[in-house]
Amino acid sequence: MSRAYRITVKESESRHLKAGDEICTQLELLEILPPEDMATLLREELKRRGFEEQEDGTLIRRDGEVIITVDPCSGEVSVKAETEAQVTQEAKREATGFNDVGPNERSLRERVKEQLKQDLERKFEQEQSKLQSQATEKLEKHLQDLTPQIHDIVNQVTRDALKQKAQQLGTVKEISEDAESGSLTIKVEI
Amino acid sequence: MSQMAAPPFPPGEPHGPRQVSKFEFNLLRITRFLTGHFPADQGLSLVNAALPQPPCASANAVELVKDTLAKALVLFLVRAGGWRNDKFLRHNMPTPGRVWHRIPLEERILKFSPPVMEFLIWLTAEKVLDTKKAWDATPQTLTPADELFFALAFDALRHDTHVLTVLRKKAAFRHNPFCWLLAAGDLAGRENATVSPPDFTPLFQGERAVFLECLQRYLEQRWIAHEQAKGQITDWSKMRCVGQAEYAALRYYIEAADTAKRHDLARFILRTNAAILSLNPTSDFWTGGLQGSGPPRLADRLETQRAALAVPRQMELLREWQARARSVAFFDDDYAASQLWKSEWEAVQGDRLAERAQAIIARLEPLRGSVPDAKPTLASNTAETESSGTGPSTDRPK
Repeated sequence: MSRAYRITVKESESRHLKAGDEICTQLELLEILPPEDMATLLREELKRRGFEEQEDGTLIRRDGEVIITVDPCSGEVSVKAETEAQVTQEAKREATGFNDVGPNERSLRERVKEQLKQDLERKFEQEQSKLQSQATEKLEKHLQDLTPQIHDIVNQVTRDALKQKAQQLGTVKEISEDAESGSLTIKVEI
Repeated sequence: MSQMAAPPFPPGEPHGPRQVSKFEFNLLRITRFLTGHFPADQGLSLVNAALPQPPCASANAVELVKDTLAKALVLFLVRAGGWRNDKFLRHNMPTPGRVWHRIPLEERILKFSPPVMEFLIWLTAEKVLDTKKAWDATPQTLTPADELFFALAFDALRHDTHVLTVLRKKAAFRHNPFCWLLAAGDLAGRENATVSPPDFTPLFQGERAVFLECLQRYLEQRWIAHEQAKGQITDWSKMRCVGQAEYAALRYYIEAADTAKRHDLARFILRTNAAILSLNPTSDFWTGGLQGSGPPRLADRLETQRAALAVPRQMELLREWQARARSVAFFDDDYAASQLWKSEWEAVQGDRLAERAQAIIARLEPLRGSVPDAKPTLASNTAETESSGTGPSTDRPK
């Protein structure tokens, strides 16, 4: 006589998930002074704005989970956002078998376990993509805030470079700056 | 009344068409299709069919293949631009005239090697998609004429996406620099996105350089068409593959042209940019067709958009050439060559184009945004330097 039985399999797994997003771009610095002098000016300006110099010569600032790295020699800027989380997922499946037909209990259990693994994998993939979206959103938001700061840095370096260049050209007679319009006028007697 | 001698008879031609077998007939039709003298749909159906291969080809068929290749490739090169009364560098001096006036006959003789015939037999005997005998050719064994033929064959066959997938895995096409110049985007499919262009250095020597001279206008038209077609690409990953392949091909080509001191052979890149950038396009011209929000990572989206601008990004290097050409003095060896490049550059208003290209690229870049110009100005005795304080302009101070 055929007897039906039901198997219930539960699996749970915990994983540490990480997601990140990063953009790299180049600062548009004019070659007013030789590259090494421009790099020095940029380095000083970045330090004033909370960047810390590293052993490899790059400057780094951490804004929460966003890391900004600037290479003053090449002018390369990278902005990286990372998110991570410890995620635990659980999945449960049931299957019905018969003692006289179809697969035996052991193979049925293994098949269900295999399906459970796939279920868990899918769930982790969903979590991973959520984390990825969070990291990208964070990066995008931070870029909006960072863009005016980078403009200010480039402007300041350009001004400082122009002042130095003017001193090299001759005697600086007058420097006038208008903070509102951002204009800088240097009168040099050559 | 004077009597004129009768003109000499041409070599003995058989009466009526030559006799060939069914297999050879198809092989000849495929040859004509690959060289652009047979309808594409019929040619592709022949390629996708299989016929039993005879033990050897008849002398008639071999003669006809030779004749077709010799005439078709010469005709192609002449039509592509060889007929133009153009100016190219020869021994570092600008030389005017049509290709047959500029280049002596012994430097423009097309020689074909066995891989061409083997390829034609394989294409006729086998279904490309279901091949029993794998065919390929070692790139080092190919003559310049072979390479050109394989590039034309690739161009004719690439419209069938299934055939394209098979062909781009073969070294005869993958390592063929002419294939990269004609259809770089098609060589880098998603399955081999990491494939990089071959060495372009040999292109600037001997017969290959002559081909390039003939192909300048043709390449220009082709690249303009590629650029226009980019606006129709909807798939982000396809755009990235195509753009990266095109960028790498053009960049390697420009670097090789610079090493070989053949800036005149990069004319098609300059003119392609001129044709596109004179329309004053925005980045939407290239990326406007992309559907949806794209890949989840901002880095991937940005990379795709940068890749789409593969052609305007080359203006940066061409501008460096122009700056170097300006600094060449009258008594320098490269004076005449630099004058030729300067005339090319000025004819298309290269400075303006380079600025436009830079502006389009800058708009895509994060952390830049729109910044007004900062132009330092110098007065005569009293130097007055003014900065708007909102960022650098593209003009560099002298």
